[in-house]
Amino acid sequence: MAGFDFTNYNRNAALHAKGVPLPKATSTGTTIVGCIFDNGVVIAADTRATSGPIVADKNCEKLHYISPKIWCAGAGTAADTEFTTALISSNVELHALSTGRPPRVITCMTMLKQWLFRHQGHIGAYLVVAGTDVSGPGLYTVHAHGSTDKLPYVTMGSGSLAAMSVFESMWKAQLNREEAVALCAEAIKAGIFNDLGSGSNVDVCVIENDKPTQLLRNYLRPNERGQKERNYRFPKGTTAYLNQKIISKEDMRKYVTVEEASGDPNLMEVDM
Amino acid sequence: MVGHGMTGMLGEDGIHVDMNHLKKGEVNLGTSIMAINFKDGVILGADSRTTTGAYIANRVTDKLTQVHDTIWCCRSGSAADTQAVADIVSYHLNMYSITNNEAPSTQVAAALFQELCYENKDMLSAGIIIAGYDPRHGGQVYSIPLGGSLHKQPYSIGGSGSTYIYGYCDANWKENMTEEEGIQFVRSALQEAIKWDGSSGGVIRLVVLTSKGAQRHLYLPDTGYTGPGVTN
Amino acid sequence: MTTFMGQPHSEAIGYSFTQTASVPIKEHSFYPYTDNGGSTLGITGSDFAILAGDTRSVAGYNINSRYVPKVFKIGGDDETGDGAHILLSVVGFAADGQALKERLDAVVKMYKYQHGKSMSVGACAQRLSTILYQKRFFPYYVHAILAGLDEDGKGALYSYDPVGSYEREQCRAAGSAASLIMPFLDNQVNFKNQYIPGSGEGHALEPKRAEPLPRDTVERLVRDAFTSAVERHIEVGDGLQMMVITSAGIEEIYYPLKKD
Repeated sequence: MAGFDFTNYNRNAALHAKGVPLPKATSTGTTIVGCIFDNGVVIAADTRATSGPIVADKNCEKLHYISPKIWCAGAGTAADTEFTTALISSNVELHALSTGRPPRVITCMTMLKQWLFRHQGHIGAYLVVAGTDVSGPGLYTVHAHGSTDKLPYVTMGSGSLAAMSVFESMWKAQLNREEAVALCAEAIKAGIFNDLGSGSNVDVCVIENDKPTQLLRNYLRPNERGQKERNYRFPKGTTAYLNQKIISKEDMRKYVTVEEASGDPNLMEVDM
Repeated sequence: MVGHGMTGMLGEDGIHVDMNHLKKGEVNLGTSIMAINFKDGVILGADSRTTTGAYIANRVTDKLTQVHDTIWCCRSGSAADTQAVADIVSYHLNMYSITNNEAPSTQVAAALFQELCYENKDMLSAGIIIAGYDPRHGGQVYSIPLGGSLHKQPYSIGGSGSTYIYGYCDANWKENMTEEEGIQFVRSALQEAIKWDGSSGGVIRLVVLTSKGAQRHLYLPDTGYTGPGVTN
Repeated sequence: MTTFMGQPHSEAIGYSFTQTASVPIKEHSFYPYTDNGGSTLGITGSDFAILAGDTRSVAGYNINSRYVPKVFKIGGDDETGDGAHILLSVVGFAADGQALKERLDAVVKMYKYQHGKSMSVGACAQRLSTILYQKRFFPYYVHAILAGLDEDGKGALYSYDPVGSYEREQCRAAGSAASLIMPFLDNQVNFKNQYIPGSGEGHALEPKRAEPLPRDTVERLVRDAFTSAVERHIEVGDGLQMMVITSAGIEEIYYPLKKD
């Protein structure tokens, strides 16, 4: 049932002992922040995912849904933050259903810390938990080993020092929504530009008690990709081939639905 | 990412346990904590610094944790381990008071802490001071250092900063101090520990436990740790 | 190097599941090298050579500076480098790069004073190899590229490994994003994997012939190579420094890059 599969543990330990390197996990060498304001809480994240020095994803999502009024920002091993938040989201919903009450932020935080403590830091999830409930806005950090902190403003990830420098110089008590969003975005920008593990865009999530939660995906895009100076479209027939087989659209229609794409059929879809 | 096998747990003799190990990247409470008995009960005190390496992860940490109405503890060592232990003890004391229809004594709480710290000594880096007030025994202070032993003491100091104030405390300790004297003793001892220990700092938090319940105090560095004082 | 094949000569089991009881001995050592990241790139044409490098200097996840040049004029008349006819780019450990550049600059200057004529690029290339090999067992931790014009006025480019092995080439990328840029250069400068459409069937298909590219095209290729490397490598960014050497002298061009 629940739990991890350790089938290949001994094999992998043997391979590792013989000198085979461990697989490289995608890590979100990240900047994530959170800040309480008068009527709620805001969390923000950059959108760069790295694998060593290589950018694995230029626009990934580090803001994870837990419940309508509880969201999580994740740093550390990408897979761990995604699966841990998904698991806790599921358990939080079941808990809400069985109690018949909206879930509390502290409940979610406790479930996360107990789960992470049980795995003794092997689950590399570093999280900022934020949300509102009957007791008002809540903001916590949860470390991979299971320790938690409750603070009015928090930062985590490799860019946390850059981001914290913004909070420590610009934060004040009694912020309003706009000020809190601007401050968090500024903190993330400090991470994006001063920490190599962070980059690309700013995602923001605003949670207020009496209003629907707003996920502001790519709230800021301070790193637009530049225009290339040359054209890299090759003339048809540039690539060598030894044989060819043509499957017509008519043949394919027998098995799948084929839709005509709009636009220039010679143009390639380039990401971003 | 994945670590294969733990290292550095056992010494060459296979008996000595390296207590000062912390798992890589773990949040540490490089701390100054103490608790004392006084005429009407106990006083707990702590600095507020939490570190990951050289970085201060939290400068206003609350290391004084409530496990029952008038039983509190001071945490030092790994933040994750001490929070987990305190949460488990808190749960058991709650259950105890419900099943027995009576508040647990400080000794019961201390015994629970010891059970967890002793039986899991190879997994934990936790140095905990327990202090509480119960009507039968009045104020009591217990300390559980790294190996999981339990010591009942008139006063106890702990954490990395405590090494700097053994002399100070020994020289200034008096039995049966008044509340004002006790607060002054704890506050100035911690102020000294913070001054010399780089891993301690931030604000000074106190909790006074008497028959009247728990009362929190706060002392800020901006005023030379003189105020504001009582916060509830 | 680690391989999947294991040791060919020994079938002994190289691992054990038993826990070692002793604490591993902690060895403190001084490691004098740091990787300061960044990338460089050189391309030659029929009558010019271009050397380029990004201007970011890093240490771990931190940026030391957004403007640290990696391309230098060698053998100039004064500290501005005016009158130089050779370019050197160094990437890897910045301190060694700086030291190497100073050494070579002094050598080329001394050559001029002693012989009353400028050092040829070929001679300088050989000398640089010697300088690097002299430190065979405590190397300059750099990947160097040397550029200039040869006796026929053609663009000349020499690339080096850290201990002095060198080769004259048409184009070369070095540094942290070399593995990203070099295949692009193979394809766009030497037209690797490009064939002339309709020139034949199967193996008879004729490869597209490489020929020296005009300066304008090369400059654009360099900028495109770096704007792309910036997108996918975290250590590359901030600025692009380009030096173009022609018979008219050396021209320096700066072009801003993304700063994230």
